[in-house]
Amino acid sequence: MMPGIDPREEARKKRVRVAIVITACAAVASAALSGTRFNAWQWVPWVLGIIAIAVFSAIAMAASGGRPGGRGRDRVTGGRGRDDDGPAGAAAHQWRALVMVSRLMPRSAGRRWLAEAECLLSEIATAQRGAAIRSYLLSAPRLAVMMWAREVLRRARLRPWRPG
Amino acid sequence: MAPRLTVQVQLVLQALLQNPAGEMYGLELSEETGLQPGTAYPILLRLEHEGWVTSRWEDIDPRAEKRPARRYYRLTASGAVQASAALAGARRPRGTALRRLAGTGDTA
Repeated sequence: MMPGIDPREEARKKRVRVAIVITACAAVASAALSGTRFNAWQWVPWVLGIIAIAVFSAIAMAASGGRPGGRGRDRVTGGRGRDDDGPAGAAAHQWRALVMVSRLMPRSAGRRWLAEAECLLSEIATAQRGAAIRSYLLSAPRLAVMMWAREVLRRARLRPWRPG
Repeated sequence: MAPRLTVQVQLVLQALLQNPAGEMYGLELSEETGLQPGTAYPILLRLEHEGWVTSRWEDIDPRAEKRPARRYYRLTASGAVQASAALAGARRPRGTALRRLAGTGDTA
């Protein structure tokens, strides 16, 4: 790790960047909408869609760097490593990506996926760790869709039927 | 409904059927089948959802063992029967396919 870098200061800068992205997206959206001819409430889905894109962009930005604290803090790498620290930094970066991806799944499924990944990565040979993390990340989108589909079905079954 | 018997699913079932009453954890399965862990995990989830496989967390103190608890998988009684029948009826994965899966990054 480079000397003289304060992790809190880095985290603060990252939060500022995320806030700037969200603000910029909101500004662009409002400017675009002011020049359109939407009637009544037709602009609502647009605004919601743009906000969703902004939030996902912010999450992706955070995943690319990540903050030092929070859920799933670098448990595999022991909290060490920055992206420019070589193999240890790369592993820390990939682990943060796993943590962020797990948040896109339903809560319980994401926790289990992350816990199993943590268990496996702690035991696997160091040379194979990168490939294992990549395989987890590659399979994650399909898995997230599968888990959300199951979650929606489960909730639909739990909801009491109300005759129309 | 039976899960679709892809080559990867067949490999996982074959590994589990080597000792139908025994348990295997993720890394063990991954090494046994040659599949990447990210590929094996969704397969195990699907098999578990279909009732062919059951799983449990290992009951250990992670601090004492100095490693996180493993998740163990094993075939259910009905799962073992169905898996055997399904594998008997399925086309055997060819050697080249197995070598390719074991040697490179793979996806389910």
